This record gives sequence, C-alpha cells and structure tokens, in this order.
Amino acid sequence: MGLKHFVILIGLIAMVGILATACSNGDDDNGAVASEDARLDLVKNRGKLICASRNDVPGYGSLDASGNNVGFDIDLCRAVAAAVLGDPKAIEIRYITASERGPTIQSGEVDLLVRTVTWTSSRDAQWGNYAQTMFYDGQGFIVKKSLGISSALELKDATVCVTQGTTTELNLQDFSTQNNLNITPLTFEESDAVIAAYQAGQCDAFTNDRSQLAAIGSGFDNRSDHVILPDTISEEPLGPVVPHGDEQWFDIVKTVMAILIYGEAYGVEQASVPSVATGDTKVDRLLGITGSYGQESLGLSQTAAQDVLKAVGNYGEVYDRNLGPGGINLPRENGRNALWADAACTNCPKGGQIYAAPLR
Amino acid sequence: MDTILRTLTYQGIPIWRNVFVIRWALQIVSGLLVVLLVSWFFINVGNAIEDRDIPYGFSFLSREYQTPIGQHFLAYESSDTFLYAFFVALTNTLIVSVVGVILATILGIVVGVCRMSSNWIASKLALVYIEFFRNVPLLVHLFFWFYVVLELPPVREGYGIAQKVYINNGGLSFPWPSPNGTGPAGVWLLVVALAIVAGFVTHRRLAIRETTTGATSYSLVLGVAVTLGISGFAWLLLSVGLIGSEGEPPFGLSYPEPHGTFGRISGGLTLSGGLIALLVGLVTYTAAFIAEIVRGGVQSVARGQTEASRSVGLSAMNTLRHITFPQALRVIVPSIISQYLNLTKNSSLAGAIGYSDLTNVAKTMTQTAPAVSIFIMIMVAYLAMSLVYSVIGNLYNRHIRFTGG
Repeated sequence: MGLKHFVILIGLIAMVGILATACSNGDDDNGAVASEDARLDLVKNRGKLICASRNDVPGYGSLDASGNNVGFDIDLCRAVAAAVLGDPKAIEIRYITASERGPTIQSGEVDLLVRTVTWTSSRDAQWGNYAQTMFYDGQGFIVKKSLGISSALELKDATVCVTQGTTTELNLQDFSTQNNLNITPLTFEESDAVIAAYQAGQCDAFTNDRSQLAAIGSGFDNRSDHVILPDTISEEPLGPVVPHGDEQWFDIVKTVMAILIYGEAYGVEQASVPSVATGDTKVDRLLGITGSYGQESLGLSQTAAQDVLKAVGNYGEVYDRNLGPGGINLPRENGRNALWADAACTNCPKGGQIYAAPLR
Repeated sequence: MDTILRTLTYQGIPIWRNVFVIRWALQIVSGLLVVLLVSWFFINVGNAIEDRDIPYGFSFLSREYQTPIGQHFLAYESSDTFLYAFFVALTNTLIVSVVGVILATILGIVVGVCRMSSNWIASKLALVYIEFFRNVPLLVHLFFWFYVVLELPPVREGYGIAQKVYINNGGLSFPWPSPNGTGPAGVWLLVVALAIVAGFVTHRRLAIRETTTGATSYSLVLGVAVTLGISGFAWLLLSVGLIGSEGEPPFGLSYPEPHGTFGRISGGLTLSGGLIALLVGLVTYTAAFIAEIVRGGVQSVARGQTEASRSVGLSAMNTLRHITFPQALRVIVPSIISQYLNLTKNSSLAGAIGYSDLTNVAKTMTQTAPAVSIFIMIMVAYLAMSLVYSVIGNLYNRHIRFTGG
C-alpha cells in the first residue's frame, strides 16, 4: 500500500518536472510559440517553407492531373521558397478555408499566407502584414442566364450564395444596404458547397471575386448557361501575407514579389535566365552579378533572384501559366494587372497597376 | 480494527512510509499539478496574445454588426449590435436543438421499441437503421441530406400545395400564426400560460384523488379541458373586443407567398433547406443512439417484472407502458441527456451546409471582431446550453428515481 502510493507520488513529481521544463523553453520547430526567433532562420533550419493556401480554385490553387499543387498562389509560395532555400519544391502547402485564414496567420504557424487574400485595413492590423498586391480584383456576381437579368442592381430580394470569412461576405451587405436590395445571404464554409448550392438553384446568384467566378465558372459543364454580371462592387487587392512581428521576413517576401515583377519588366524569362553579365546594369543587379539590391541585409543569397526566376519565371509568366492563356484565361492586356510600363522603353506606360519598390 | 491498529503504530513509522503523510502529500501534489497546468494554459494564451498583437476584449459587442444573417427567427437588421446578432444566432441553434431533441426522442423510442419487437421484420429493420446511422460520420450524413435537399426543384419551379405550402430546395414554407398587434397577443399568451398551470394543477389533484380513493376521475381529459377552456374563452373575449381594444383575434395566420423577380417566398414560416438538412441529419443520427439506449434500459428491467405483469393480465403494450418503461427510465435518462448534449453541440456543423447556426454566424463575426473573444463567447454559449439540459435532466432523474417503499 505504502509502496504503491510512493510510486504514484514519484510519478506525479516527475510529471511536474516535465511540465516545468516544458514551460521554461517554450519554443518548438513549428514556430508556433517562438516569436523571438527570426522567421528566416526558422525556415532555413526547417528546410522548407510552410504556406497556407488552397486546392479548390483553378488558377489560384488547385491540383493538376498528377496531384501536384498548381496555381498563381502556389507559384508565389514557390518563389519565396526558391529565394530563401534555393529550392522551389521545399514547400509544404496547408489547405485552409477562407475563415481559417486570419487565425492561421495570426498564430504564426505558417510562414506565408497566399490564399486569394484581399488586403483590407483591419486585416492588415489584425492578421499580418500584406507584402505586395499581386492581383487587382473586384467582387462580382454570376447568375443563370435564364433569370434574364443584366445588372447586379436587379438582384432585389434575391438569395445570394457566399463563402464564409471572405470580404465578399461583408461587401455583399454594403451593396445590399446601399441599393436597398434586401439580399438574403446563404453562407457556407467550403467553396464546394457554395458552388453546389448555386448550381442547384438554392440561391439565385453566387458572389465572389470576379477572377474566381471566372475560374470556377470555367469548371461548369454548361458554362454558357451562366453569365457574370458586369457590375464590380468592391476593390479586392490580393497578395501574400506574412505574420506580424518579423520585419526582416516581411521585407524578404516584398522583395521576392518585386523580383517577379521586375523580372518581367526587364524581360528576364524562366527559360533563359542569364548567369553571366549581360551588360545591362539593371538586369545584372537583379541577377546578383554586379551591385546589390540589399540581398545581404535581407539574408538572401547573392543570386536569389536567379533561383526565383528559374523556378517560376517572371510575373508575366506566372500570370500566363495560371490566370492567363495557360490557365483560366483572364485577359491582362491594358487591364489593371498589366505592368505599369514597358520594359524596353522607359517612357511607354502600359496602363497597369502592377508595380513594386525598385530593386536597387 | 485495521484503522485502530494503524493509529496506534503511528508514532514509530518513518515519515516517508507514514500513510497519513503520503495521503496529504498526494493531495497537495495533485492539487499543485492542476494549478500548474491551468496557469500554464492561461499564461501561454496570454503570452501568445501579447506577442502577436492579437486583438481581444469585448468592447465590440455594442458596435453595429453590419453583416447579414442568412436565416433568423428573431427580427434582425444589419444595423443591430454584435451582442444582439449573437443572440439571434444563439436562438437559431436553440431552435435546432429543441426541435431536434424532441424529434430524436420520439424517433429513437419508436426505433428502440421496434428493435425489441417480436415482429421479425420490424426488429431487423430497426437493427439495420441503427447500425447504418450509428456507423457513418455525422458530417457525411449532413452532406448527404444537403444534396438530397439540393435535388428538390429550385424555388421558381418548386411545388406549391394549394398556394399555402411551398416546397423547393430553398426550404419548406407554410402558414404560421402572426400576432395582430403585440398587446392582445401578449395578453393571450399570458392567459395561456396561466391556463396550462391551472390545467396541470387540476390534473394533479384529480390524479391524487384517483390513486387514494380509486374512483375514476379522468384527470388527464379534465386537465386538458381546463387549459383549452380558459385559453379559448380568453381568445373569444379578445376577438369580440371585450377586453382587447381592436376587437380582433390576438393571432392571425400569415401565408407564404412568392414575390419579386426570383419568386422567393415571404410570409408564413420558412424552414430553409439548410435547416431541414441539418434537422433530418441530426435527428436520424441521434435517434439511432437513443434507440440503443432505450433498448438497453428496457432490457435492464428484471424479466420477472414482465412475467408478473403479463400474468396479472396486462397486455404487452400496457406492460411496456406501465411496468417496464417507467423502471427503464431511470437507466435511460442519464444517457439520453448526453445524447441531447451531443445533438446540440453537433449542430455546430451547420456551417458546412449553409444554416446560420451559432458557430456559423460567430465565425463570420471573427472577420470584424476579435476571434479570441468570439470563441470564448461560443464556448460559454454551448456550455450554458449543455448545463441547462443537464440541470433539467437531473431534476427529472431525481423525480423518477426510486423513493423507497
């Protein structure tokens, strides 16, 4: 009797000891608790980059026939992995729903959130830091042609399907109130359920970012029976988000996005990334052959941009492969998502808004 | 004897083998362990919140929510506050919970009784039902019913029955009472509440008299008659305007009616497609568990009870009703309460199929309010609901327990 109790006592003391040790060193490899450690070191030690993204929308994040992650958002993740680790395949993608995005990036359990995240002021304040707008989108509606409506303003008393935790959910209310439309929302957690409900006619319209509507619509059997209404009811700048509290990591991601954009501006293409001096100072600086755009201060290798561009290509190539002709075929020419200017000619504006901090 | 001996030899025993010391030490250590664990949890959460600048606090509750709620049984405008919106969402969950619990109990008892039936087909059908519904995850059930509802025609092509009931994949709409002015309706509801109390008292009194004197007193019929009589009389008085001012019945019927470009139904009461799928899923799933609990309970009653009852001449049905079931209840009630709690908590899966339950709405709230605070509120709300069920269950359990004699 006494011995048994004694053994239990020893066991309990051991547990307290373990617990106390666990309390004293509260950091682990996933970085969930380790805010003091630099994210860059964490990623390098881990040997892979963890991105929160999706696998359910063609163009942005989906699985190809052989089960690989493909899409615009996935490529942005690969680009960062290439810059930091030299290997675009050293990534782990975590699939999350729209409403999980905030908590996921707030907790710092992922290094990067690239899941069609609209930049808003309160998200910037609460979730994490928005590195760079990589796609300018706006909210629209898709409806069945048989309804015979031609404008979102005709959606009086309609029921509209919407995904939970999105800015579209919030914008829908603003739009309904402003125009006195009395729209009833039907909110689902998962995109799949939203799409099923819309197709079955449980709701009269489906609202989302226009590019996503196009992407999802492209998967419909009878695409021609549906029409995306011309109205755009909101601004939806999309881009990658990093956790709060690590400025170096924030700067790295911004710079990688700039590398993609200037890669296109300077005409550096994936298939032919030069590794020797080209004579063009801007290109040579980008590729790390001469000069610097701050690689050392950021903790990147001298030739990080070469790794990035070899891995995924420049912004234009990433766009074309996923959102353009190679993907869901969204027009880019003369749109907001064109570059701000022509690369070859300093004085030829292209009318787009894709622009980043100059690399120098 | 043992205790006395130990107390006597207390003096000479070394401290690490002294049973009193060991017992006390164990108490203190385990207490310390609990305190350590809990405080570690809170400190960790606090640190994480601080480190990551995660917003928290409850000042948002009085702010306007400015976001729509898909289906709501209470009146709701997007200019209402977060607190009220949360309450509206809580009501949505409560309705699912209460209706679900009632339906699941009825279905569960029926299936459980069938399972014990001597009728081979009934018994095997119940067996198949129980095994099928118990062994498939609830979320799969919900998606199944969700797609079943989606198979119904869309609202404009849906079925209408005599232009009073509408069935489509948007939901089921039917006529529903609507108060003609809050005053008379309130008065009438108050009278009905009093009438129910009066009816209950009548029933109790007569029932006691029946058991003591043995004279047939029709306690149930008379109790119901008292309730209906008082309510009906009040309705008449209000309708002709004797005590109300308008001379209108306190409640009228509101009929569902399609309107607008999209033929959406307004008026009456509409149970949305998501709600129907959720209710059917929850009820059929939970009923399978309840059926097994009922079977276990009834079978736990000693066989002699049934035999004695049959030999006194009670029919099989009466044996179940008056002898076996009341005794089985004592075994059934505690387990069934935990099924009610499960049903309530499981309703939080509603977001998957588009019903605006508490969790679904509250998760949307995290977009514009601190997630930590919202999740604390969600936890407290479910905890409160569960505690209420437990309290009611325990009271009932106390009521039906053996009182000796």
